[in-house]
Amino acid sequence: MENLWYVAGTIFQLWMSVVVFFIMLPAMFGLSLGVTEVYIQVLVKILEWATLRIQRGQQEQPSAPIPLHTGIIERVGGSMEEEMWQLRCSRPEAAGAFCLSDGVYFCKKGLESIVEDQVTQRFSSEELASWNLLTRTNQNFYYISLRLTIIWGLGVFVRYCVLLPFRIALASTGISWLVIGTCVVGFLPESSAKNWLSELVHLTCYRICARGLSATIHYHNKENRPQKGGICVANHTTPIDVVILANDGCYAMVGQTHGGLLGILQKSMVRSCPHVWFERSEMKDRNTVTRRLRHHVAAKTKLPILIFPEGTCVNNTSVMMFKKGSFEIGGTIYPVAIKYDRRFGDAFWNSSKYNMVSYLLRMMTSWAIVVNVWYLPPMTIQDGEDAAQFANRVKSVIAHQGGLLDLAWDGGLKRCKVKDSLKEEQQKMYSNIIVGQNHIRNTKTCSETREDQ
Amino acid sequence: MTRCWLRPGRTDMESGQKNAEEGGEIRRLGKRFRKLDLDGSGSLRVDDFMSLPELQQNPLVRRIIDIFDTDGNGEIDFIEFIRGVSQFSIRGNQQQKLNFAFRVYDVDKDGFISNGELFQVLKAMVGSNLQDAALQQAVDKTILSADRDGDGRISFHEFCTVSGSAPEPAASAEPTVL
Repeated sequence: MENLWYVAGTIFQLWMSVVVFFIMLPAMFGLSLGVTEVYIQVLVKILEWATLRIQRGQQEQPSAPIPLHTGIIERVGGSMEEEMWQLRCSRPEAAGAFCLSDGVYFCKKGLESIVEDQVTQRFSSEELASWNLLTRTNQNFYYISLRLTIIWGLGVFVRYCVLLPFRIALASTGISWLVIGTCVVGFLPESSAKNWLSELVHLTCYRICARGLSATIHYHNKENRPQKGGICVANHTTPIDVVILANDGCYAMVGQTHGGLLGILQKSMVRSCPHVWFERSEMKDRNTVTRRLRHHVAAKTKLPILIFPEGTCVNNTSVMMFKKGSFEIGGTIYPVAIKYDRRFGDAFWNSSKYNMVSYLLRMMTSWAIVVNVWYLPPMTIQDGEDAAQFANRVKSVIAHQGGLLDLAWDGGLKRCKVKDSLKEEQQKMYSNIIVGQNHIRNTKTCSETREDQ
Repeated sequence: MTRCWLRPGRTDMESGQKNAEEGGEIRRLGKRFRKLDLDGSGSLRVDDFMSLPELQQNPLVRRIIDIFDTDGNGEIDFIEFIRGVSQFSIRGNQQQKLNFAFRVYDVDKDGFISNGELFQVLKAMVGSNLQDAALQQAVDKTILSADRDGDGRISFHEFCTVSGSAPEPAASAEPTVL
């Protein structure tokens, strides 16, 4: 029995020294030992080999089903007017009037949506171009060669038996030190020393957590980093976005108060630096929220607020509608684009499919998380622009930088239906096309027209 | 079901390749079908389609579903789904597309587009943005110009002639006397 305690004690001491010397100290100073970089390079080589092997295997066996990358339906791009004109085979006498082929346009659009629509595909993980040796992404692929299967098996062993325990231990260490550290710092009186110490604690613990996910983060354009008194705005893919961004700077978080462990974390964090946590009842009242945030921003010495205006997690292939509430607060907006490299692990949190714990386990059993973060130049609302237009402007800048599709659809459509006004809009657009050149007169009656002729 | 995809006269290798592509397409459509089938009943109903935001704003969504439903039981099973989608497939031919377009307007599936059917569909497309009188004018005009045998309705043959790829000389268009 004593032996067991002794062994456990030695392991714990060993673990602590590894963490302190190889992870915490470098994290405090923002340095890296380069272990993750080497790991990623090795991974890339293996995945490239695997891709070539799979392609070769597919060429040798043509009768097996090929994963489909192109669409099944012929899609034609263009506005309603362009497509209808094409369908009408550009007949001059039919221009501007109703033509029988017009119905085909709506049916074609409908069929395109049925086979693959732009909205719901954003709420589920994107398919990979080639298998990345994870069981969970193995959708269309099948047995190719023994070597590939062995490598896959080895990968499973490494990920589940070596990396997973290490990562779980590291992540729990990081979080518990965050709670303890912020609690301790909270006891200090308000001073610049306290702020500095609080930033150090936050940065160190977030970096430890990032190591716990084998996250490799590339920051671009660091000169545009969000300043105090500003609002940082980013596209949302996963709750880990917070860890990713907080590795390089300190932000004031905004969110709902939770119970349980998360609640403890929130309470201790707010002791050391002014995060903005709302009660659930307060969240419903938009004015309260806006007022508190405005107050925070107005005090130019407080940390920049971090907001995700999409309001929900989207699968990182596109940016969905930004809610204009964040853009009504005033102050400078610092847009940030976040793009995950999906070969190493899919970071998207499908909240309808996985809860938080199973999501975190999936993250910790992926290869790694490789992410690019671009800081974009600050933007402010211009004269004659309302909050919605400003939000769209910021959104297109973020989408352009991150190589994401800029969609006008609301992320809330994950859970609720489209407004009727959108359908009426389609009907209106079509009516305008056919009324266009006075071939259908909406105001004159039949007899009046005859008199004209 | 495979009639429209297999073409005669291909070598074994090519048909092997073809089968592989079709297999991939069917598998993908199968996944899509399962995803749309929210209650797992094995067939799709109007509600399942209406969960797609892009379809909710489409004025002719009921017509599309009606066309898919070849046996008329109000639900779309997997075979009807594949058949329906294949009409607009990359490999579909012009004839199939015309067939589909005809069935958009032929609401009672009797092989003819009547005045009332055309009005019904056109009304769905424009909503309340145009007056009924103007719509009726457009409908009458269309039927007049398309109707060759003078029975007051449009058969499939007349439909193809009017909206198919065959070009019509402008002189033979009916004068628009209203």
